Amino acid sequence: MGKEYWRSLDELADTPEFRSLVEKEFPGLAEELLSPQTRRAFLKVMGASLGVAGLAACRWPKETILPFARGPEGRIPGAPQQFATAMDLGGAAIGLLVTSFDGRPVKVEGNPLHPISRGAATAFAQASILELYDPDRSKQVLRREGGQVFASSWDEFAAFAGPHFAELRARKGAGLAVLSEGSSSPSLTRLRTRFAEVFPQARWFEWEPVERDNEREAEREIFGAPCHPQLRFDKADVVVCLDADPLFDHPAAVAHARDFASRRRAEGGTMNRLWCAESVLSLTGAAADHRAALTPHGVEEAARLLASAVLGVEAGAPQDAAAGRFAAAAARDLHAARGRCLVLAGPRQPVRIHLLAHALNAALGAEGTTVSYVEDIDPSRGPHLGGILQFSVAADRGEIRTLVVLGGNPAYTAPGAEGVSAAIAKIPVSVRLGLFDDETSRVCGWHLPRAHSLESWGDALAWDGTWSVQQPLIDAMYDGRTPAELIAVFVGEAASAHEIARETLKAAAPAGGFEAFWRRTLHDGVAAGVAALPAATPPAGGRLRALAEAALAEWEQPSAPASGITAVFVPDARVHDGRFANNAWLQEMPDPLTKITWDNAALLSPKTADSLGVRHGDVVRVKRGERALEIVAYVMPGQADDTVVLPLGYGRTAAGKVGTGVGFNAYALRTPDALYFAGGVTVEKTGRTHGLACTQDHQAIDKVGYEARGQRIADLVREGTLAELVADPEFVRKKDERPVLPVFESPKLIGEHQWAMSIDLSACIGCNACTIACQAENNIAVVGKEQVLRGREMHWIRVDRYFSGKPETPKVAFQPMACQHCENAPCEQVCPVAATIHSDEGLNEQVYNRCVGTRYCSNNCPYKVRRFNFFNYVKNVPETEKMAFNPEVTVRGRGVMEKCSFCVQRIEAVKIAAKNDRRPIKDGDVVPACAQTCPTQAIVFGDLKDAASRVSKLREDRRSYPVLGELNTKPRTTYLAKLRNPSSKVEEG
Amino acid sequence: MSTVPILPDNTIEAPGARAPLVLGGNDFASVTDKVCSIVERPRLPRAWYVAFTISCALTALLVAMVGYLFLAGIGVWGLNIPVGWGFDITNFVFWVGIGHAGTLISAILFLFRQKWRTGINRFAEAMTIFAVICAGIFPAIHTGRPWFDYWLFPYPNQMSVWPNFRSPLLWDVFAVSTYFTVSLMFWFTGMLPDLATLRDRATTRGRRIVYGILSLGWRGSGRHWHRYERVYLLLAALAAPLVLSVHSVVSFDFAVAQLPGWHSTIFPPYFVAGAIFSGFAMVITLLVPVRAFFGLEEIITTRHLENMAKITLATGLMVAYSYGVEFFMAWYSGNPLEQFVLANRAMGPYAWAFWIMMCCNVAAPQAFWFKKVRTTPWTLVGVSVLINVGMWFERFVIIVTSLHRGALPSSWGYYRPTWVELGTLAGSFGLFMTLFLLFLRYGPMIAMAEVKSVMPAAGLEHGPHHGHGQYWGEIPHQHDRRREGARP
Repeated sequence: MGKEYWRSLDELADTPEFRSLVEKEFPGLAEELLSPQTRRAFLKVMGASLGVAGLAACRWPKETILPFARGPEGRIPGAPQQFATAMDLGGAAIGLLVTSFDGRPVKVEGNPLHPISRGAATAFAQASILELYDPDRSKQVLRREGGQVFASSWDEFAAFAGPHFAELRARKGAGLAVLSEGSSSPSLTRLRTRFAEVFPQARWFEWEPVERDNEREAEREIFGAPCHPQLRFDKADVVVCLDADPLFDHPAAVAHARDFASRRRAEGGTMNRLWCAESVLSLTGAAADHRAALTPHGVEEAARLLASAVLGVEAGAPQDAAAGRFAAAAARDLHAARGRCLVLAGPRQPVRIHLLAHALNAALGAEGTTVSYVEDIDPSRGPHLGGILQFSVAADRGEIRTLVVLGGNPAYTAPGAEGVSAAIAKIPVSVRLGLFDDETSRVCGWHLPRAHSLESWGDALAWDGTWSVQQPLIDAMYDGRTPAELIAVFVGEAASAHEIARETLKAAAPAGGFEAFWRRTLHDGVAAGVAALPAATPPAGGRLRALAEAALAEWEQPSAPASGITAVFVPDARVHDGRFANNAWLQEMPDPLTKITWDNAALLSPKTADSLGVRHGDVVRVKRGERALEIVAYVMPGQADDTVVLPLGYGRTAAGKVGTGVGFNAYALRTPDALYFAGGVTVEKTGRTHGLACTQDHQAIDKVGYEARGQRIADLVREGTLAELVADPEFVRKKDERPVLPVFESPKLIGEHQWAMSIDLSACIGCNACTIACQAENNIAVVGKEQVLRGREMHWIRVDRYFSGKPETPKVAFQPMACQHCENAPCEQVCPVAATIHSDEGLNEQVYNRCVGTRYCSNNCPYKVRRFNFFNYVKNVPETEKMAFNPEVTVRGRGVMEKCSFCVQRIEAVKIAAKNDRRPIKDGDVVPACAQTCPTQAIVFGDLKDAASRVSKLREDRRSYPVLGELNTKPRTTYLAKLRNPSSKVEEG
Repeated sequence: MSTVPILPDNTIEAPGARAPLVLGGNDFASVTDKVCSIVERPRLPRAWYVAFTISCALTALLVAMVGYLFLAGIGVWGLNIPVGWGFDITNFVFWVGIGHAGTLISAILFLFRQKWRTGINRFAEAMTIFAVICAGIFPAIHTGRPWFDYWLFPYPNQMSVWPNFRSPLLWDVFAVSTYFTVSLMFWFTGMLPDLATLRDRATTRGRRIVYGILSLGWRGSGRHWHRYERVYLLLAALAAPLVLSVHSVVSFDFAVAQLPGWHSTIFPPYFVAGAIFSGFAMVITLLVPVRAFFGLEEIITTRHLENMAKITLATGLMVAYSYGVEFFMAWYSGNPLEQFVLANRAMGPYAWAFWIMMCCNVAAPQAFWFKKVRTTPWTLVGVSVLINVGMWFERFVIIVTSLHRGALPSSWGYYRPTWVELGTLAGSFGLFMTLFLLFLRYGPMIAMAEVKSVMPAAGLEHGPHHGHGQYWGEIPHQHDRRREGARP
């Protein structure tokens, strides 16, 4: 913003006062300012964010921070600080630790003290930092009337809401309704109770598009109330998943992944065994030792047969041969592991399947060992689907006169969203609190900016009931409020979010000094000793068995699907239900299995695709009755035949500059009667194609490439079975018995430390958390779909996904691949200007300042882990998002090569700290971002000079091998071979 | 423009007699007249201006493409990870290769006393210079930050940072800059007597001054000739190894890398043979039309063309052999990565480029086994153009097919050039042709002094040096007949 555009300091500051002034003076301008369509508006908003950025950097939580004229005690300028907080996703939280530089949060990690995250964080949680700085977030109160948008302010809203809600209070809330997203916040729960007292006639609906209501309904039937099963993968020898994805798509997935992986390393010569029957290839399915790709009907059949076999009930002939084989083998294995096994049904499965899963766990003695239960946060809540349907009906009938929408995005995510949008639009007074001025805000009268979880006080419960307090890392950037604050205002007890959270915890805190407890909770990120969700006791086995037997006896054979293909709706691994659509990190994160970025696709099994004549990139029309969706197709190995998998969350119309118009809106086919499975859809080619920006397998492969790839995978991703390992402990290394001819002298590695990494392919589940951790830590640019299509994505660590075996029953292996820091680095030898050199501690260092960009290093890199700045990718990073840059890492400009540095900034920070403290560096002190966040702890980093370090030992492990070791590059990253544990009694089909 | 003269066939090998290299009863004066008249006539035919306009337009395109590249970044090209080099280095190797014929003709054939070289060496050397200029552009612009290209030179600096002497790209810098310097000196030195002739015949002040400065005070004295011959011989000796070294070093860019498909010990001789192959093809491509256009059939005779065709055929066979050896070595090494690269070349996504290369470089030159093809100008040009296309594709195939499918299948990719790359390639041809057309217009495109030495009139056939085109001292009778009105 040049000087000539300034009219006053207030304009630069873009304060609400100034805005209201503009609106009063130039009503036309105000409208333009707010409509994202016009170029002028774009420039204005960019300019505004520029102004805000400058100021936001010096914002602080008002309550606690003093001006720097009197510096807070112990604060070192420029030194990072970490604060514990939590992030709620759809009604369950994980604990986080956020790194902040000078009041500017830059990196989200898992809170090591939190029982669910244990230091790890999902890609969603890590990418939330970018959401915080998203310039498209709504910045002010908006009022919509008669198709026009007016800028407004909190004061104006208060002026309206005060009398309005006072009147509603007088009418006991008649005609008032709240439509909220799922939330685990105890404060919101408390205020909701208060709300019900103040507005006894008001109604509260809750809607989450991706929920676990069938599971809850089954639990309600069994336990009398919904509960949260606590799964102990570390104790389970045999796990059977029926369309469940506990390792990735579950509120406690991070903990599950850690526990699961702890049993995949063949320590003590044993491993767990995972059985999966599913239609969709999930990450859990990819990790399974035995997997059956079954149609939704087949999965139910497998569940029925499994339950019959375990419970000893006559089942009759299997309707699906594959399901029958799966059930028989899994049942045998479960029997053998009685008391150390676990049966899980996924959220998509109907109530009766969940009932069977519970009965199996009870019958197999899993209860109390591998599964226990705690109560639900809100046992009284009915199914979400019921909630949204009741809401629609009530709104249609005109029973709702005032609506408050808290978060969520029902106008986009509701089944039959167009009806819900219309219903909301009919309500005379509708108030929306949201992070974005999105689809739902567009149909509401008032839009109120919501405070991001990283900039507001709050509280949240984890899946196991752990209570965390959310604390702001930065003052609200855009004057947002939290749902709790809003409800507090409506019930006439206005309080700051801070007071609300404190008040709620105070009631639950153990007796004694609360202030100390509060501080302890803020510091640790968990409220110690607060049992927010008490344990639930399962009913006696007999009752459950009776329920299950009854269910089996009354089993209605599902009628065969009307015509061939069943659609399966799944949450997307990148944008979840669509809420992360405007997050560029997540949009550019490749889907773990398809490796698609910036799109979703209709997944078809190879056989089904063949029979339909559909190939990668064809646009198909998926028709379901009157509804139709045109979407690009992707041929997915391992998916059940006659299914089409439709990931939700794309095709947003008002997500923001990043997410609007990306992908295809699968909600269009989702209706209340078919929330997850829709039978009788037809898929036909449209004749058009759509470019899919995949980071792997960029194009349909020819015969030569296909064969070579098939031959090569076994050597790149070495794998074997537990039995093979026991029979021949050296089987992995035998492949390396080749003569090695030294050509170049290795650089002199005389450093005090010799850094190295070990990656356990047996543990890696391919979740992409490392990719996002690295992106956040190392300021990695987002390049956009067009550049990914050209093969120019910038991720320093990618997760290679390889299929082997038959396309119908592929084995999946993941291989995180970053710079291998070769001791004989081919890249170093060819750089003409010595811009990539070896440190004496064994790091392959890239000197950005020196790089002229010949790309010779990348050409000569066998691992192809180097990334080139083909353009100045950071040029258009919005000013606010620049605040997410890690100040410890250079931001690279155009024409420069970059790559993994083993997080050299972290190594140096630890070295400096150790030197200052005059202590040696301990194993585990230096943790690169990828290793830090890996939920399965597959990545281990350390010093080879320390013979006792974990990495030294892992390098000596019998499973350890270098990738492309025959090239004699002597990589410092070695891999541990992947182990599978198939049952010896099952013949691989 | 010229009437087609009926010339005797000098391609017949008659025992006991040397075939004449200048036909049509020319004497020294008429050779001088023929060559100088091209420079001296006030206007050239319209076709020259048309060609020059097109060339200038293409050069402007080159400037525009490079300007756009510098403003926006390498991303305007189609490169990616894994294909970090595409048209840029392909064009570089292509143009360096083109240059080789000139040096080979002027230096190696000189040392081997091949006197037919005199008719074509100036022309070929000029082509060398211009081709190396075109080649030099590409390494300079292919870097991500071209404004730091000077870091590739080992100059003393305050940071005490030196380039990496282990990098073949650095060797390239030395090899190509040495090659260019020596070629330029060789070319210019060889031109001195002819520039002096132009100066002497100059009718305008401007020409007198320009050619006067360029001819460096050449007066044609015995001492001048003596020094000149010595320097020329020395430069020839210097340039001769460069013919082999430059393309060997260029091949090191690939051979030294570990990439299967690049990492191959046959690359240096293979590249040198390929360079000469493509260079001769380019000389033929250009010479045949120029000879017809300016009526130089008496000096650049069919025999000259046939000899070039023979060399093209010989080097073409070497290239074909190298292709075969690559496949053999891939099979014989037992290295699956190497085997895949070769299989992928022939059958993978770039098979079309591979088969263009094979057709043009292996099949097409076989036509030169036939004398009829070797001695018919238009067939010569046809085959030569095919060879030029094939040799461009050879470099493309080596670079792109090896890169696009490396060791890890997860990182396989595909490279498509953008319009910017196509424009840059076209522009480099424009620059080449512009320089070439200017040379034809303003320089002595035939080494007059040298041609005269192989004419019977020079009397060197029976002299002490037995007619190998050497002329130690002033050539007898050179000034016997002067053109009417011309000054001494």
